[in-house]
This record gives sequence, structure tokens and C-alpha cells, in this order.
Amino acid sequence: MRNLIIISFLTFLISCSSEVFDNQEREDERDDIYLSTYKPSSSGDVLVKGGRILTGTGEEFLSADILIKNNVIEEVAELIEPSSNTKIINAEGKWVTPGIIDIHSHMGVYAAPSLRSNSDGNEATSPVTPHVWAEHSVWTQDTQMPLALRGGITTFHVLPGSANLFGGRGVTLKNVWSKTVQGMKFPKAPYTLKMACGENPKRVYGSNQEPSTRMGNVAGYRAAWIKAKEYKDNKNAKRDLKLDTLKGVLDGEILIQNHCYRGEEMAVMIDISKEFDYKITTFHHAIEAYKVADLLAENGICAAMWADWWGFKHEAFDMVWENVAIVDQAKGGSGCAIVHSDSGVGIQRLNQEAAKAMAAGIRAGFEIPRKRAIQWITKNPAKALGIDDRVGTLEKGKMADLVIWDSDPFSVYAKTEIVLIDGLIKYDHSDPDSPKPTDFELGIISPNENRL
Amino acid sequence: MKIVYIFLAVTLTNFLYTESLLFKNASVYTGTSKEIFEDYDIYVVNGKISDISQDIDLSADKIINVEGKIITAGFISPFSHLGLIEINMLAETRDDSSSIYSAGFSISQAFNPSSTLIPYNLNGGLTSAISTPSGSRLFSGLGSAFSLSGDSDSLLLKDLALYASIEAEGESKAANILLMEDTFDLARAFDKDSREIQEYGLPDSVKYSMRDLAAIKRVLNKEIPLVVSINRASDIINMIKFVKSQNIKLVIMGASEGWMVAKQLAESKIPVILEPINNLPTSFDRLGSRLENAALLHKAGVKILISYDEWETHNAYLSRQGAGIAVSYGLPWHEAINALSKNVSDTFNIPNRGSLTIGHEADLIVWDADPLEVTSFAEQIYISGKLMSPNTRSLMLRDRYLKRD
Repeated sequence: MRNLIIISFLTFLISCSSEVFDNQEREDERDDIYLSTYKPSSSGDVLVKGGRILTGTGEEFLSADILIKNNVIEEVAELIEPSSNTKIINAEGKWVTPGIIDIHSHMGVYAAPSLRSNSDGNEATSPVTPHVWAEHSVWTQDTQMPLALRGGITTFHVLPGSANLFGGRGVTLKNVWSKTVQGMKFPKAPYTLKMACGENPKRVYGSNQEPSTRMGNVAGYRAAWIKAKEYKDNKNAKRDLKLDTLKGVLDGEILIQNHCYRGEEMAVMIDISKEFDYKITTFHHAIEAYKVADLLAENGICAAMWADWWGFKHEAFDMVWENVAIVDQAKGGSGCAIVHSDSGVGIQRLNQEAAKAMAAGIRAGFEIPRKRAIQWITKNPAKALGIDDRVGTLEKGKMADLVIWDSDPFSVYAKTEIVLIDGLIKYDHSDPDSPKPTDFELGIISPNENRL
Repeated sequence: MKIVYIFLAVTLTNFLYTESLLFKNASVYTGTSKEIFEDYDIYVVNGKISDISQDIDLSADKIINVEGKIITAGFISPFSHLGLIEINMLAETRDDSSSIYSAGFSISQAFNPSSTLIPYNLNGGLTSAISTPSGSRLFSGLGSAFSLSGDSDSLLLKDLALYASIEAEGESKAANILLMEDTFDLARAFDKDSREIQEYGLPDSVKYSMRDLAAIKRVLNKEIPLVVSINRASDIINMIKFVKSQNIKLVIMGASEGWMVAKQLAESKIPVILEPINNLPTSFDRLGSRLENAALLHKAGVKILISYDEWETHNAYLSRQGAGIAVSYGLPWHEAINALSKNVSDTFNIPNRGSLTIGHEADLIVWDADPLEVTSFAEQIYISGKLMSPNTRSLMLRDRYLKRD
């Protein structure tokens, strides 16, 4: 097995070389297949009436209405008169936020139940696997998805795991039931590339194969980018799936989502991005982002963080509760802070994670109102996924993804009442058949009883 | 004679250095009543609760006006590896498991009161914790209760329960119950004072040490409970039948599908330790996991204890968040607080802690708001009447990097 891994790695290195294989011009990646087939049915006119709204743009309305026309937000204003065929959802006394977006999920690739047969998140056979795509692993009937929907998650980004230096492409999905992954794909969302710093790659490999150290990690990233540059410049090079993805990053079409805990490693990764002239979009699991918050703000890089998870490994030892707030407030409040889950448990209550981070920030002396903290789980992840032109805020022209909460979403007691995706009710707390169970859950408790 | 002198000296010292604290205008949740008593005072003398009532008009060395804030007993983690683990993935920082011993492995001497996890979890609201051994075998060993004061004498109650898992080792759970039965028979037959054992020791064919069998004997004598990790409804039923036949005390850890057999658990008076935050069907043994589990079990009359997540000992204090979630899915608020405190001390017989009761140690917390809220903080934490430091390594890191423009 070990020999096989080494052989495949050598094969990769050979195939990455700049040799010209033939004289024909390379046929580049086609962009007309693997497309999203998601198309919501028409919502008609829907008016969400009288809610306390955190719009995600930084504004708050104590009581206002949201008009949806054919799946899209038409208007947010204090009083909107419905027409005769408008469906009205009463939100008086409730709170309304944009649909919650989790930028770091493994739903579908590390599903529940967690079984050897569906552990599909890490192609841990070589440290450089930019050719694998998370969407080709997704099990659409993962039980975590409806639970996340009940927690207000309307969009989530599925990443490969962090065993490899280059883990493969991530995919952004809408949290809608579908029998195909294409039916969940967020239309025209940019692809992403997962990279990983630190302990994981050097632990997974390293026994008799690079990398075994952090410096080995860095040499591995640079070697791959050198090949990618050559591939980009040489139109005659034979088509290579790995280099297709890396070239996509160099062309600015694929966004880097970089698992990286330590401050010094983030600084090194920024140097590498400058050497090869690409952009890092987000550092994920950035436990030490607070140590380099200014550097991140200066380079326009977001940090995706947990509120308080720590200590499971050495690079997660320097956690502070104020991490999210310090990143948010860097350089006069120009930082880009994101609260992410990386967990089927955390994704169900990303609002509570944001609440903890907000409370810690306030306690440390920052002024962080709810209307700002909500951006950590709405607008900012949308921006870091390149979909902020369509989701993340409640404003005219955006997809009508929104959550109606029974009370203050920054409370442990808050529950979602209604979750709309593209103006359609996907979860309604008063409907016992909602959310729609996955195929796996049908009759799994007893022949007459679905999982809850 | 010597003993008498020491006794006199201690009594005299106590008499001379009486120290008293008076908390004024608190909203007191004692744990012994469902109510929150508004505008109550708590009087603490020499580290123990001396009075809880309205308008206590006594002089005190220190008067603390908490202005209506909530005071509860310090919370007790019912199941974690606090003091035994520093970094999960680094074996060299862990003292929570043994391959030499099984049932007889006592973690009482593995506990490190200087662990960075202790001041951190103390400031999250835990004043004491039951630290448990871990392992992949049928029996992992004996757990003990500790104060989170950071003092060298943190041990509160040694070897208070024996821990086991029938979900261990990839073996059929039925086989693990049979193995448990065989081991119990062996332990019953074993008499460490017998001439054979004294002369020849245990025969080579016995896979357990004398220390292991002695630990099991304490369970068989009903001195301590057996804590078994199980989740599937049918396995819980089998375990209930087994402990009835063995006439021993059982506490169930996990019980993801407990709500399906709530009636049987209530009838058998078996307490359960829940992780309410973990509602995922992570395995086929947990397909019935749901957020209403705590509320449904309580409603059926089962005593519940709330823990966070065994493998997230670093944030053991987030049992508070789990309790809050259980409340939002139907568990009464006062029961959630008890599940974090009184139910733990009652189940494991930890003396003088877990509720605000006259004569108990003054392990108490002044909260800035509802202790189950994710945005709340423990403002002041007292262990035996002593104000604990708010400092943690994490706070020092924050202060090194925090810039307030």
C-alpha cells in the first residue's frame, strides 16, 4: 500500500513536468458541464410582515416588512402594502435574519451516521490532490442537512478534509433536499480549493514521504505552484486535472480556502501567495488569527473561526474567546471575521456560536451590536465564497433566503420558526413533517416511524 | 495525646480566624427548591454556608452587594477528563488511560491541579468535576471527584464509580455483557485474604489483576455505581435486566435513545448522564438521537445529569450551553440547573456540594445573567468561600494581543 502511494506520487511529479507531450493545443476544462441544475419553483409574492430585522448589511429595523417577488427580495421597508394575491407570513414579535451560511462544512462527505463506507472527505493517498472535487463525494441523504436547515442554514460550503497540502475542490450548496448533488449546487458559485497548513498533512504523511515537517509542507506548496505556472503558460502541455485546478486559482477563478491555525503559518502562506501571484480568500480554523489580525486586514483575507473550540491538538492550544472580535475590529473595523462550524453539531446553532463570540468581544471592551455580529454568519461568509452578489444580506435583488426566529437569535433559547430558501418555505416549526426527512431516515426507527 | 493537641490547635485556629462573607440582594437559586428567591442574602462563615434568608443583619468581614444578580451553586462536571489531558492528540500529555490495569485503574493520582484546563473551566462555571478514565476496553477504571480550586489537595472523593463501555472493542455488545457477567462471577469468587491467593496469587489464566477484581467487588457490594456508556434502546433494556440480576447500582452514560425506554429507566431508578448538544445520529446505535431527549426523560421521572462531550474536555463547562438547549426543547430551567449540580452530587454521593444548603461548602457563583445563556459569564466564583482568580492562560494571551484603539 505504502509503495502504491509513493508510485502514484512519483507518477504525479512526472506528469507535472513541463515536457511538451504533443503539438496539439490543449483542450482546457469545459465550463458547460457539472453545472447546477437547482431551480426553485416560483414563490409568487410573499410578504414577511412586522419582524425585527437584522438585514446583514449592518442595519437593523425594529419592525419592518420584506416583500419577495418570484424568489427574489423586492423590498425591505417599514410598511409594505400587500396586493390581493400576496402570501403573508406574520413575523410580528419575531426576529428575521438572512439565511445562515456555513463556510466550512463536511456534510455529505463526512455524513451521519459516520461509517467507513461513507467516509469520503480525505483523498489521503497523496499530499497533492487538487484534482479531486468534494461534490463527487457528497451523499445528498446525509441526516445532518435537515438538522442544519432547522438551525437556519440555507447555504453551506463543503470542503475536502485537511489531510493533504492541496485537498481538492470545495463546492457551495443550497440546503435543499435533492436526489442529485447538481440539484443542490449553488448556481454559478465559484469553485474553491482547499489547502491545509500545519500538523495534519505532516502527520498523515511523513513516515517515509514528504511532508514530515512544516518546512516540508511549504516546499510541497511551492513545488506544485511552479508546475501550475508552467502549465498556465504552456498551452501545449497535456491536460492535467490537478493543474487545471491550480491554474484556476492563478487565473483568479478558484478561491483559496486555507485550513491554517497558527499566526506564523498564515504569514508564510501570504508570502507564498505573493511569490506565485494568487489570492488567499480565507484562513479556516484560524485559532491564532488574533495574533495577525492587522496582517489579515491589510491583505484583505477573511478568517473563519470557532467561538471557543480548542486543545484537541497543539496548534489549537492558544485559543482566546475574543478571536472573532479582534479580527472583526482590526484596522478600524475593516477585518473580515467569519464564524464557521466544521461540525454537524455546531452547524445547527451557528447563531449561538456567533453570540458567544459577540459577548466575549463586548466583554473585552469592543462595541459589537447584533447587527454587526450577524454578518459573521451571513454577509462575510457569502463574500468569502464569492456569492455575496446573491446571498448574505436582505436587500433588493438578493435571493430570498431568510430565517424567522421565535426570539433573539443571540440567545441559547432561540429557535427557528420558518426558514425560506428562494422564497419557499423549507422548514416550518408548526409542520410535523418538516423538515423533509432524508431517504435514509424514512422508516429507520420502525416501519412506520421516520427519524426525527 | 498528640492527636488531642492537634485537634485543639485546629479548633483554636478556626476560632481565632473566623472569616465571614455576606452576599446581599441576590437572586438565589438553591437547588433544593424550584424557586428563585429574589432579594435574598447568603451568609458564609469559614467557607461554609451559614444562612440563606432575607435581610440578614449580621456583621461580616466582607459584604458583597450583588444587586439582584443570580447566585447558584458551582456546577459539577459529571463526566470529563479534566486534569488528565492537556492536548488530546498528544499521548505524552495524557494520563487518562492504562493498558496495565482495567477496572482497578484509579485516576485519583493522575489528576494535575495545575492543568491549564482547570482555571479555564473554573471560569466557565465549574467548581468541581468528576474525572473519568478512558479506554477502549470493557472496563476503563475508577473515576474521582475533584475541586477545580487548583490547590494541591483537590481530591474530593476518591474512586467514586467504575466506568465501562459495552460499545467498546468492536465486539458484540451481547458478548461484552456476557464478559461482564463472567468477570463479576470471578470477582465474587475472589477473596484476597484467602490462603491460596495469599500464597500463590491469581492463576495465570485470569486476565485481571487483584486490583481490578477489588474494584469490581466494590460495585458488587453496592459501595459504588457502575457507569456504562450505552446508547441504543435495546442495549439499555438489556443492561437494565443485567444489573437487576446482579443487584448492583447503574448509571448510564450517553443514552441517546433513552427517551424510547424512559419508562423502564424511571421504574429502575437509573440516573443518566446526557450530552444534550450531541443530537446527531452518528452511529446506528444512535439513530433515535434527538434534542427532546432530556425533557422526555425528565418528564418520565428519570434523574438526569448534563455533560458536554466526552472528547471535548477542554470545554467541559459548555455543559451549560447543552443545558440551555435542553431547556429550549422542553426541560424545566430549574431541572437543567440541577442536572449541572445537585443531581451530580446526589448520584455520586459527593458530600456538601451541589446545592446552596446550610452547612455546605460555599462553592458558589455570581452570574452576570442567566447561567444557561451563551452570552452570560461567571462574574465571581467562590470555592469554600474563597474568591477565585479570573485569570487563565487564554486571558493572558488575549491581553498580550488586544489593542483597544
